[in-house]
Amino acid sequence: MAALRDTDFGALQILLKAPSKDAVRQLCQECFSSPPAALGPLAQRACPGLAVSAQEAEQLVCALHNLTRHVVYRGLTRAEDILCLFPENFHQNLKNLLTKIILENVSAWRNEAQASQISLPRLVDMDWRVDIKTSSDSIARMAVPTCLLQLKIQEDAALCGNNPVVSALTVELSKETLDTMLEGLGRIRDQLSAVANK
Amino acid sequence: MGLLNFTRDPVPEAVSGDMHNLNQLSAQQFSALTEVLFRFLTEPKEVERFLTQLSDFATMNKISLGPLKNIVKSILLVPNGALKRNLSPEQVRADFIALGLSEEKASYFAEQWKVNSPTLTRLAVGQTLMINQLIDMEWKFGVTAGSSELEKVGSIFLQLKLVIKKGSQLENVYVELTLPQFYSFLHEMERVKTSLESFS
Repeated sequence: MAALRDTDFGALQILLKAPSKDAVRQLCQECFSSPPAALGPLAQRACPGLAVSAQEAEQLVCALHNLTRHVVYRGLTRAEDILCLFPENFHQNLKNLLTKIILENVSAWRNEAQASQISLPRLVDMDWRVDIKTSSDSIARMAVPTCLLQLKIQEDAALCGNNPVVSALTVELSKETLDTMLEGLGRIRDQLSAVANK
Repeated sequence: MGLLNFTRDPVPEAVSGDMHNLNQLSAQQFSALTEVLFRFLTEPKEVERFLTQLSDFATMNKISLGPLKNIVKSILLVPNGALKRNLSPEQVRADFIALGLSEEKASYFAEQWKVNSPTLTRLAVGQTLMINQLIDMEWKFGVTAGSSELEKVGSIFLQLKLVIKKGSQLENVYVELTLPQFYSFLHEMERVKTSLESFS
């Protein structure tokens, strides 16, 4: 996450050339969601709408990205906190507009950041079924219940970009294994309650 | 020889000769040999121990080990087939008699078969094919304090490591769950347990 630079605020004033408030809003959202590597192409798309040079577009897009990400990083939720990020001589109306847009989005952006956090592969879905085994090559007649559990696991979002890889893993559990697993899960639940009640 | 219960295939020639030799053993000798055999059947991994005990039996009873091993091979045909086909003790007894073993010894063996049957059945069931069997589960949970995108987070995460047997190899699978997912997972597993219990 890049830090806010003084030059960023100079670049932000390019927004004064934006055609409408909605255009500014749209650009803010796109700049926040875009990873640093995708800012270049984003700048190129924004260029015509703002009637600025490619270089200025790029500076603007980087500045907006840094500003929005900085606010989310610090967890700022009050207008005063955001307003005092701006330098003294910054355009009043633009400052108020940007603060308003940021406040509208900060909660959704925070969720977005948390969702795309690095993590181990994540569980996205889970299905199960119970079968009864009636026969096998080692014994002709039996009636043994067994559980098949299918876990859908998604690889780390950051590594896959827009195409998250979801793999399905099917696991078989005997009754004994399930009992042991439930014991373990029960212990986790107890410890979680203990932590929650502190 | 009439139709046998424990197998549909023709029995090797040597078997009737082996049964005849078995009949020559005294009741105590037969009982001792049967004990060695069942100890092996209930603990099939203890091959070394089984061979040692056979060798001791041979020495103590002044029998050559080679012929004894052949006899044992013949005897074991019956319990192995009986297990696969869920035979009753009466059927096992009938098969031994059909093969040429004396009634007294056949009845004794069938009695031992009845006693050991639950253990042997459980072993056979345990050998049944399992797909991607879950062997072990390790877990840890903690709190995410911060990240490069969010200075202060404070959310709980749960990480599971599942050890799975794929064929003959073990594979580790790592999964992360959020708290709501964990509770939902726990709830589903409890439903599975209820379902499995109703079928047991």
